[in-house]
Amino acid sequence: MQVSKKIVVLGHFGVGKTSLIRRFVEDSFSDNYKVSIGVHITKKVVEVSPEEEVSLILWDLEGTDDLTTIRDAYLLGTHGVVFVFDVTRPSTFQALNADLDIVRSKISKTPLLVVGNKVDLVLKEDLETLFTKNNIETNFLTSAKTGNAVNDLFLHLAKLLH
Amino acid sequence: MLDQYQKEYATQNVQFILIDEKGTILETDQAFLKLETNSSIFDVHAFFYTFESIKDTLENALLFSCVHIHFKDEDYVTDIRFVKKKEGYLIIITDYTSHYTEYQAIAQTRNESIINGELVAIKNAELEERENFKNSFIRNFSHELRNPLTSIISITKILSDTALTNQQQDMVTFLQQSNANLKQLLDDILSISMISSGRLKLRENIFSLSQLFDLLRFTYKTRALDNNIEFAVNVDKKIVDLVEGDRLRLFQVLTNLLDNAFKYTQTGSIRLDIQLNQKRANRLNLRFEIVDTGVGISVENQTAIFESFSQLSGEQNSDAPRGTGLGLSIVKGLLNLMDSEIKVISNVGEGSSFYFDLTLKQPLATTSKTSIITPRKKKDKKAKFRTDKKFRILLAEDDINVQTVLFKSLLDTNYFYIDLVSDGALVMEKLINEEYDLLLIDINLPNVTGDQVARLIRDFPFKNIKSIPIIGITAYSYEDDFKAFKKSGMNAVLSKPFEHEELLSTMAKYLK
Ligand SMILES: Nc1nc2c(ncn2[C@@H]2O[C@H](COP(=O)(O)OP(=O)(O)OP(=O)(O)O)[C@@H](O)[C@H]2O)c(=O)[nH]1
Ligand SMILES: [Mg+2]
Repeated sequence: MQVSKKIVVLGHFGVGKTSLIRRFVEDSFSDNYKVSIGVHITKKVVEVSPEEEVSLILWDLEGTDDLTTIRDAYLLGTHGVVFVFDVTRPSTFQALNADLDIVRSKISKTPLLVVGNKVDLVLKEDLETLFTKNNIETNFLTSAKTGNAVNDLFLHLAKLLH
Repeated sequence: MLDQYQKEYATQNVQFILIDEKGTILETDQAFLKLETNSSIFDVHAFFYTFESIKDTLENALLFSCVHIHFKDEDYVTDIRFVKKKEGYLIIITDYTSHYTEYQAIAQTRNESIINGELVAIKNAELEERENFKNSFIRNFSHELRNPLTSIISITKILSDTALTNQQQDMVTFLQQSNANLKQLLDDILSISMISSGRLKLRENIFSLSQLFDLLRFTYKTRALDNNIEFAVNVDKKIVDLVEGDRLRLFQVLTNLLDNAFKYTQTGSIRLDIQLNQKRANRLNLRFEIVDTGVGISVENQTAIFESFSQLSGEQNSDAPRGTGLGLSIVKGLLNLMDSEIKVISNVGEGSSFYFDLTLKQPLATTSKTSIITPRKKKDKKAKFRTDKKFRILLAEDDINVQTVLFKSLLDTNYFYIDLVSDGALVMEKLINEEYDLLLIDINLPNVTGDQVARLIRDFPFKNIKSIPIIGITAYSYEDDFKAFKKSGMNAVLSKPFEHEELLSTMAKYLK
């Protein structure tokens, strides 16, 4: 059996978790919003170096604005966490640092990437001021719609965990 | 028989699978996932990879709820339990698809409505921000315009008092008209920005309707005669005279509508009709209607004429050359404030009728002690000053143009000695070392502003300084600002651009 790494994708609802995974796994996108409940799990094998593969087991969690309600069972055995917020909706990042603290208290010592999604909808300059104003640091700025930085994000994580 | 059925249905949505520690299926029923023994649980669905990481620490049982399983083209939403047994690991999968589908529908509605609410709020906030920016821009811009305009008006006034040839006199008259137009435009723009920023507050008073209508008759009679147009104000006999409301704003609405009518009516007549719609308890509802026989407005333009800057935006329509378009949008805004709405009926070439219904309070005649506001006649009598002595004026103004103009025009009257300072910090020094009868001070001075100076003066221990009359000059023309300035201890505040006579008569009030 291949090396497998469990990645949990979480964040507030409607931020684009499902869309990011769909873009990464199927290279497709839909404008329709179908609310995810519980958890959807998909697998994707990626090449981290020539002749070396890792299978990423992607856990797409139900979005919630109260991260304390995430079911602990979902987080067992997690190797990496992707926290997604929506750059167009302040409510999804206004309490970002507090949200991250909650996540870290639930899964400590696990690499965590902070991702601002839907960057296709805003101007880059506006983003910068927004982030400085809200004291936010991100690892990736993505668009599931255009595919911008989506592969980079997951490949980066795969290499990190490998 | 029954327990056979029970067995069939009760177990249908629960599946039991027994695996070894490598994940190989040892035993399974076929409740809904058709699995083969000896195959690997990992091949069933990616979820089961989780077994790898939990098996070593698994004590009794562990539950995963609401897990989506896709297997052989079927989707299931399930709860999955792992239980450690002697023979290996037991997996119990319960199919709750229909239950979770209901829950999904609820979550769908909830999330969508929350997100929509957020997006609407964001959009509104953006609109508001843009509107605020626009208003503060207009405010600052008109502030900038007021200084040079004050100079122009004052210099034109000085110029008109010099010896001029007939031709020059005509040009000066033209200049004065243009100045007046420009000032009107500036005031209109400010009115609009005040209305849309909510800074304009209504002030209700008891006033006489008949006096208001007389004033309108009087104001427009000459204009009608000049243009050879019939003009009439017809008032319903059932309307009482004394009412309570914002007389100034009502007057502004009616004059804007009448000005508009005169502008677009070359022949025929213009009428202002006032009808009583309804009278209930102490409220009157009146219909005001302005009817003209002018050029009319096409249906397409009938909403556009009330938009701010509709004409300034460059789309000139031949049949609706409504000036700057500001007058009507002021009407719309003011009536809005008064809970009313302007409406128009018009046919191109036949004329227009603008109308609105307005509710006014009817004060109880006997109990009212409030003084009745009568229209302030425009003072055309010259301000009077003593001639046996000259007054000493300290003028504090930093704008060199305004300074020159004020200095020269005040000096020309021969009533005053004038000292100049251009810095707020120097005013106190001057007042202490010299004696003055009045301080004329620009509010927007460098270092120490006019209102700060006024406060210092009013707190000063020596009576002769403490009680000196102060007249403020400001380019601001907002009500709030005025109030704040007066509170700082100024006796009067004039807003630029002001007329020479207005300044003199204000000064005369405090120089005895
Ligand atoms: N323009 C744009 N829209 C996006 C992007 N990503 C997602 N969306 C849209 O945002 C909505 C929500 O996307 P999902 O991927 O379902 O969001 P989610 O985080 O999985 O939501 P939950 O499952 O409710 O937690 C959908 O309408 C998507 O089409 C993006 O990068 N750009
Ligand atoms: Mg989702």
